[in-house]
Amino acid sequence: MLKWFKRHRKSNKSYETNEEWVQALSSPVDEQAVKLLREKLINGLKPALHKYVDRELDQFVEDVAQDALLKVIDNIDSFRGESKLITWAMKIAVREGLTELRLKRYDDISIEDLKPNDNSREVFSLSVASEETSPDRSLHESQLVDKVMQIINEELTDKQKKAINALMIQGLPMPAVVKLMDTNRNALYKLVHDARLKIKNKLEIEGIDPDKMLDKL
Amino acid sequence: MELTPDILKNLIKSAQMADEDEIGCNDCFEELHEFAEMELAGKSPEEAKPLVKDHLDKCGSCREEYQALLEALRNIENGQK
Repeated sequence: MLKWFKRHRKSNKSYETNEEWVQALSSPVDEQAVKLLREKLINGLKPALHKYVDRELDQFVEDVAQDALLKVIDNIDSFRGESKLITWAMKIAVREGLTELRLKRYDDISIEDLKPNDNSREVFSLSVASEETSPDRSLHESQLVDKVMQIINEELTDKQKKAINALMIQGLPMPAVVKLMDTNRNALYKLVHDARLKIKNKLEIEGIDPDKMLDKL
Repeated sequence: MELTPDILKNLIKSAQMADEDEIGCNDCFEELHEFAEMELAGKSPEEAKPLVKDHLDKCGSCREEYQALLEALRNIENGQK
């Protein structure tokens, strides 16, 4: 009976404190709180996402808010109160919206379209292209390329080479590479981070100063 | 395809900026609401949470989400005034 009253009470609560929000969004969920939070999410999402959505913004934002609400309610126990609840909920909603948009952006593009023309082994044996005509400069560059390519080929795993190739050489955006490699953003970031560290450490071990390398380019 | 000097520069710079204690996208997300609230309050989140700031500088997708979050929060704050 208490649950029924909680669900159906008619109040004008503003849910100003985190405690009030958490209680209202914990089971049994207070429908008025859900409605208010949905409104806040929609009001925030519209201006934040409008530049990414070319049509039916209202419907898109409502769907995102609904999905985000479910996540907020499912995860309310993990909210530790380090910020206002609305800030935490909006973070979840914004990620939900942008993730959806990124998926849509690459929905129509097949993995084949994203695949680089060269495989990683071929790419890492390529030579440098320079607009400079000076033979000395070209020589420097070609030595640097050889050194970096050698480090990449000897130190990195095939997966790391593929990621570095797609992101830094082919210049594909991160969401496209996530799709191409059938991974997630966090895993891809970590993979590339480890690769960058390996290159950095190897340069250090070989006594090569990256700043000097950059000066020569 | 040719490897241009610009690509090579980016590769070297990216390696040069790699730190052992860098955090990933998930860890950044875990702290993003606090970071955003500090920024909106005019505090210095980059001093309180340098690893989050470092990640936002290095990860375009997380930066995009953070900027959208700030915009969303500013809008509901203004709506309440």
